[in-house]
Amino acid sequence: MAPESTAEPPRKSTLAAVLAPVVQPLVAILIATCVGGLLVLALGRNPFEVYGILISGSVVGVPNILVTLQMMTPLIFTGLAVAVSFRAGLWNIGVEGQMLVGALLSGIVGYAIHLPWFLHIPLAVLAGFVGGALWAAIPALLRVYLNVNELVVCLMLNPVALLVTGFFASHVLKAPGPTNKLPDIDPSAALPNFSIYSQVNAGLFLALACCIVLALVNARTIRGFEWKLMGLNPRFAYYGGVDVPRRAIGVMMLGGGIAGLAGAEQVLGQYRAFYDNFSPGYGFDGIAVAMLANFDPIGVILAAFLFGALNGGSAVLQMMTGLSKYLVQVLQFITVLVLAAQFSWNWLRRRPVAALAQEPERSAAPDLAHPSGRQA
Amino acid sequence: MDFDILNSAVRIATPLIFAAMGGVVTYQAGMLNIALDGFMIVAAFTAIATAYLTGSLTIALIGAIVASVLLAALMAVFNIRLRANIFIAGTAIIFLGNSLTALLLKGVLGQDGVFTSDRIPNFPVIRVPVVDGIPVLGALLSGHTILVYVAYLSVPLVAWSLYRTRWGLRLRVVGEAPEAAAAVGIDVDKIKFQAMLISGLFCGFAGAYLSLAYVTLFAREMTAERGLIALAAIFFARGNPYRTALVAVLFGGATALSVRLPQVTGLAPQLLQLIPYVVTVLALVIVGWRTTRARNRYGAWRFDLG
Amino acid sequence: MQEAVLPHKGLPPVVRMRDIVKMFGSFVAVRSAAIEIGRGEIHALVGENGAGKSTLMNILYGLLERTSGAIEVFGQDVHFSNPRQAIGYGIGMVHQHFKLAPSFTVAENIILGSEPLTTYQRIDRVRAERETRELSQRFGLNLDPRAIVGTLPVGLRQRVEILKALYRQAEILILDEPTAVLTPQETRELFATMRSLAEGGHSIIFITHKLREVIEVSDRISIMRHGEVVDTIDNDNVTAQQIAGHMVGRSVLLRVEKSVARPTTEVLLKVDGLTALGDRGERAVDDLSLEVRAGEIVGLAGVQGNGQDELVECIAGLRRPVEGNVAICGTGLGPKPSDNRDAGLAYIPADRGGVGLSLESSIWENMTIGHLPQFSRFGVFAIGKARDRAKQLIACFDVRGGEVEKPAKSLSGGNQQKVQLARELTRPAARLIIAEQPSQGVDIGAIESIHRTLVEMRDAGRGVFVVSADLDEIMSISDRVLVMYRGRIVANLLAAETDTEEVGRYMGGLDGEPFGPSAGDTGKGLADGA
Repeated sequence: MAPESTAEPPRKSTLAAVLAPVVQPLVAILIATCVGGLLVLALGRNPFEVYGILISGSVVGVPNILVTLQMMTPLIFTGLAVAVSFRAGLWNIGVEGQMLVGALLSGIVGYAIHLPWFLHIPLAVLAGFVGGALWAAIPALLRVYLNVNELVVCLMLNPVALLVTGFFASHVLKAPGPTNKLPDIDPSAALPNFSIYSQVNAGLFLALACCIVLALVNARTIRGFEWKLMGLNPRFAYYGGVDVPRRAIGVMMLGGGIAGLAGAEQVLGQYRAFYDNFSPGYGFDGIAVAMLANFDPIGVILAAFLFGALNGGSAVLQMMTGLSKYLVQVLQFITVLVLAAQFSWNWLRRRPVAALAQEPERSAAPDLAHPSGRQA
Repeated sequence: MDFDILNSAVRIATPLIFAAMGGVVTYQAGMLNIALDGFMIVAAFTAIATAYLTGSLTIALIGAIVASVLLAALMAVFNIRLRANIFIAGTAIIFLGNSLTALLLKGVLGQDGVFTSDRIPNFPVIRVPVVDGIPVLGALLSGHTILVYVAYLSVPLVAWSLYRTRWGLRLRVVGEAPEAAAAVGIDVDKIKFQAMLISGLFCGFAGAYLSLAYVTLFAREMTAERGLIALAAIFFARGNPYRTALVAVLFGGATALSVRLPQVTGLAPQLLQLIPYVVTVLALVIVGWRTTRARNRYGAWRFDLG
Repeated sequence: MQEAVLPHKGLPPVVRMRDIVKMFGSFVAVRSAAIEIGRGEIHALVGENGAGKSTLMNILYGLLERTSGAIEVFGQDVHFSNPRQAIGYGIGMVHQHFKLAPSFTVAENIILGSEPLTTYQRIDRVRAERETRELSQRFGLNLDPRAIVGTLPVGLRQRVEILKALYRQAEILILDEPTAVLTPQETRELFATMRSLAEGGHSIIFITHKLREVIEVSDRISIMRHGEVVDTIDNDNVTAQQIAGHMVGRSVLLRVEKSVARPTTEVLLKVDGLTALGDRGERAVDDLSLEVRAGEIVGLAGVQGNGQDELVECIAGLRRPVEGNVAICGTGLGPKPSDNRDAGLAYIPADRGGVGLSLESSIWENMTIGHLPQFSRFGVFAIGKARDRAKQLIACFDVRGGEVEKPAKSLSGGNQQKVQLARELTRPAARLIIAEQPSQGVDIGAIESIHRTLVEMRDAGRGVFVVSADLDEIMSISDRVLVMYRGRIVANLLAAETDTEEVGRYMGGLDGEPFGPSAGDTGKGLADGA
């Protein structure tokens, strides 16, 4: 009886809820596609043509598929980073900043230290993990010890990370030349590349491995169970013996570390140096990936493939039509918005106004919407 | 002593005050509205696009407000009607606003990062007759665009609405004890919806001010987290409009000072741009420290991580 | 005084509800209920938890919309979709959990929703305060209009609620479990208010499950069972047992059958000089000491809000005391709740949805937490074993409707309570059992079985500490009764040698003075006198 429970989602009660993990993402994607299509139409383009280019530019032909795989690699990392934190009830949307700091440390270890490859690669990757984890420790510690809303801090720390890493790339450790970047990494630190068509590299396998490991941790270990309970009801988890403050810091740092791996993969596998402002927003894409995956690590792979394909296709789209890659981001966040409404699928059956009045006990539950710093 | 710095502090604080007043209304209604930046960026874009296309500042301002309120309505529908988590919905709205405006910047105005044009009219600067000549007061009170005055006058207006009127009482009760409001027949969702729309209204002003008065250009993600900075000011002032505005002004002063620093110190521009963010995080830390100390003194544990 | 009301009997009823049906999805909360309320009568509506009393009244008050059926108020067909409409027809409701905004004044709370205005939609504060004062004097419910509601004791907050309804010219007053939070003395005052209102022509619907009070105050009694009104009887020579039999559909024992306690000398819980602050910084627990020994059930009586919550939180490790010591089975408090559990504590919290259970999680998950080390091998979670154990516990504790995979929220209150008991009591180390409001939101059948379990635990040599606002429950289950008042233990009585009346006097702080400044400020002087 155990096997069917391996990847069970946090919420399930009725048959409809069992189907929900599949239905909801599809509905959300459908809605986003329609809204995006109208937008494209409003911009004076043919939506079918645009979507056709997006699809053919991403999954038709080996080179395009390889580009998609390249694009999905960072998204797996960032999506997984967000998913791990969200599942434990921590709104870590500072993945972008964590990735940048991880990338910076990877870049430094990559060029400043000289080692044989079998030591250099792991060390540089580890540096990325550590960088991201330390950056994530800031909101985590503030959250746990000072009850500061981690979401706002995370959002503030993203530009801080960009500026700080930019300062390193343009002043402190700047490589000679006009570009704001660190010196190129040693070849001994470079993640091996497989193809001339794209920069897909060994980082993809690291990403997939992370997903599988976390899927196992979630489904099969005490730690994974504790994270899930924390996400559902932290007071209950704490009372039941889960060391919630420590787990919260740990899970945020794990998420940050995984985000740092995205940075490491970019630096060691794709750019071969840390460049200022290299990310087109992979950390934010990660939010969409995690939401679409319903915080499930295996789902993250699928969702990252979808958005990776869209990102890959958008480059072609930009070349062919001049429509900017932001179209894909618009699609992503419409998807997130629609998915956020998932708690209220029963809205289709029951009006929410009545639901409010009906059960006083439920409305007495901790209200996420209430400002935390407020005093009576 | 150079009093220009006062003038620029007043101007720097203006969009913060607009955004903060929008945030105060939702805060008092019990909603932590993190989407202020999303509303603002859409307003800023609409303002500059309308001004460019029509040449009219009035139409541009109205357009900015309409766009911002529409986005606020979308937020309200998802958060209030569809019960979407306000943080997730808010995050989505922020990024949706940023990417949508970036897309339209390219699609409508044909630019990639920044747009500006000579065809965009400027808000006239108002010289207040007598005050203008007085040294310090003149720099503070005179020589601003109309939007600056609107911003500062909106503070007492918000305070009056919240603390004197029927609507304000109901809104505050909805924020503190929604079940108490519902029990006497107040439509809680309606009040929350209104609060969110008003948030949109103020962000409309903030956005229009950013792209048409503070500077005359539109840049991608040009709100630079001002919405979050405003939120921090609200936390700091516990939602009181006057104190929130005061914090915003102090913030503007600090920023105005820091703008002068590179000439003096020769610091890298990145480090100066850090200042608003670092100050905001520090403000949040102080707020957290303050409340946590009180709670620890009482010995109460609380682990509501959400 | 029943005679005083009887003349109204000839008049047409002010409320007539017929064939009311309310469904939540496929769940039928109320099925073809019918009830008539006469003018000037006190009409008790009794029934078990989940019988549909509150749902029926929420429909009358417009908080819920009926699925089908007809409602007449003052002879007119009505269909309320929100309370505002019901208020317009002269209906007022005082909810069990007060619907008040704590940081606002009495006057603001009373006028809310029907505010007197001056120009520009401004609130006319002067008029609001004057009208509040006049109203409170007219009905003999003394209240300061400018007092902040959050600082008032519970009895006064209830007055605010009643005045709120009267301010809206309510002629039909629904009181939902109004005595749950009151001392016996406050209850008597409330009953006096109810009677004078009824004599003045108000109709009062009194929802309760305390049968003694029903017999004491009501004119007529309607009994609900499984969503139906099974009977309406005149309060004339009926006994509590008869009503209880109607409620459950079979005769019930209202007392717990138990042998005489044989406590040993072993102290399982020792609280010594404990002082703890409440969430607003008040001295909620004030230099309090108590002991629970193995083999006895100690009941802690007291009106809610006298520091019981804070005391229990301290013992459970969810709140840090300012001063004093707590020792569980001889071990002092550790920094984490799990330390206390390891020392031998089993805690059944009142806040089932918040602390005691994760309602969204499955039953097996709820039964497994706290037992995690048992299912861990090098951090790997033996899920199969945990499920099997949950299955056994479901059978053993008779959790009705319990399937391991179902979420806890799908269970009724009583069965949720059983899940908590199953989890807490099966820990071999658990020797001290703290049950907080064990029968709150639990139907009578389940109360019996929960009480029986607690007695069994006592007989097995464990110590049981029951904290309850329900005095009847305290009196029926305890061997020893402690009374808590303003953060202190003011009485330590043997259950066999005391009665409700005596305990009630202590609950009210001995000699009257039930109202005063907020708890804590003056607790010292009073408790010293006790």
